[in-house]
Amino acid sequence: MFRAQRVFDGSRLLPALLVLVTGCASIPPSVSELPAPAGSIELVDTPFYPQERYQCGPAALTTVLVKSGATVSLDEIVDKVYLPGRQGSLQYELLAATRTEGRLPYVIDGSLAAIWRELAAGRPVLVLQNLGIAAIPSWHYAVVIGIDAGRGEIVLRSGTDKRRVTRIRTFLHTWRRGDYWGMVVLEPGELPAAADRARYFESVAALEEAGRVEEAAAAWQAGLDNWPGDNVALFGLANSRFAMRDFQAAERAYRDLLEQRPGLLAARNNLALALAEQGNHDAALKEIGRALSENPDPALERELRDTEATIRRRMTSGER
Amino acid sequence: MGFQRARGALMRLVSVSIICMGFAQAAPAGMIGTGYLLEDESRAASISRMDILLARADVARQLEAFGVDQAMVMERLDALSTAELLELEGKLDSQVAGGDIIGLIGAVFVVLLILELVGVTDIFKSF
Repeated sequence: MFRAQRVFDGSRLLPALLVLVTGCASIPPSVSELPAPAGSIELVDTPFYPQERYQCGPAALTTVLVKSGATVSLDEIVDKVYLPGRQGSLQYELLAATRTEGRLPYVIDGSLAAIWRELAAGRPVLVLQNLGIAAIPSWHYAVVIGIDAGRGEIVLRSGTDKRRVTRIRTFLHTWRRGDYWGMVVLEPGELPAAADRARYFESVAALEEAGRVEEAAAAWQAGLDNWPGDNVALFGLANSRFAMRDFQAAERAYRDLLEQRPGLLAARNNLALALAEQGNHDAALKEIGRALSENPDPALERELRDTEATIRRRMTSGER
Repeated sequence: MGFQRARGALMRLVSVSIICMGFAQAAPAGMIGTGYLLEDESRAASISRMDILLARADVARQLEAFGVDQAMVMERLDALSTAELLELEGKLDSQVAGGDIIGLIGAVFVVLLILELVGVTDIFKSF
């Protein structure tokens, strides 16, 4: 269908050329301001999975997963992230599939310095590049395994190239068009090289939501070690204990948290459930009553009423 | 007409309830997840369970429409967080899908070649 347009038409080309070149020739300040790392590093033991057509997403993800110690095959990852109708993979699904392997995905800061720090910690970085231009995008996932600052080069596992060497400046052009998106795969309990608190916690909460309770517990604990006394990490750890059915430990953790923040009604709701699980229905109802008396917002009130009903049902059925 | 509408509603309910299956293992019943503390409280309050279920139904339908094997749809849905589901709802076709899609034609090829030579693009060795 494109054959007709192959006829070379210079009068049309010139304006197009001008638009495209002016659109891309200027380097935005954010790129030139990126701190230049010193020295060179290359994670040569990173595995290599040459991609099949359109399947750079599964290949890149398998590469970083296996490097982090996960035992997974390329075929399994294809099933989890490849979208045939789009001939590609979505960023969200790369994050999601990482969680199904019991690993924690973390989206790094969009800077060369952030890539450098992760490489120094032994983690390759999966990046989204647009190898084409905005008007003719060629979206591509690759894995950065090395940087040679002296030579101004970056080393990638990319497509069918086991060791693709690209100039850092060129790489930054392609990465900018991918919105500087990059992720690393963490073993639960491991923190990223430069952890952003909110982003790290959101990532762990998603792991918890995906039902990977034990892995989430390790990750909350690492968060608590790094940000001592942090309410979110404490709540997360308590919730993990609850989900692992260690109700005594959960109760203790909720009580610690409520001592710090008595108005945290979500924690009081969960404390009531942990008490009920231990057969302590009266104390459970007391906690729920207290939470309801503190004017929760309508959605939370609904949750509290549900919890209250659950506890009463358990009481009448004599269930422990 | 009334029958048609009722049938539509019923079908929707059935598909929602099918999608709910496998949804329960994520958290013990009644437990409020840690993500609640991370959301802006007003936003957390405004997201109802029905919103989440409808987002799941929508994303499931889109995954299937884009050729994901039916047996894998549930597993892929379960791996997405609530925030991700809500982001994807109705937008699966406009999300970036990385996969080496090259659409090169005539004149554009020449432009790309020039951009490649000056190091702005990095397309030609990629596949």
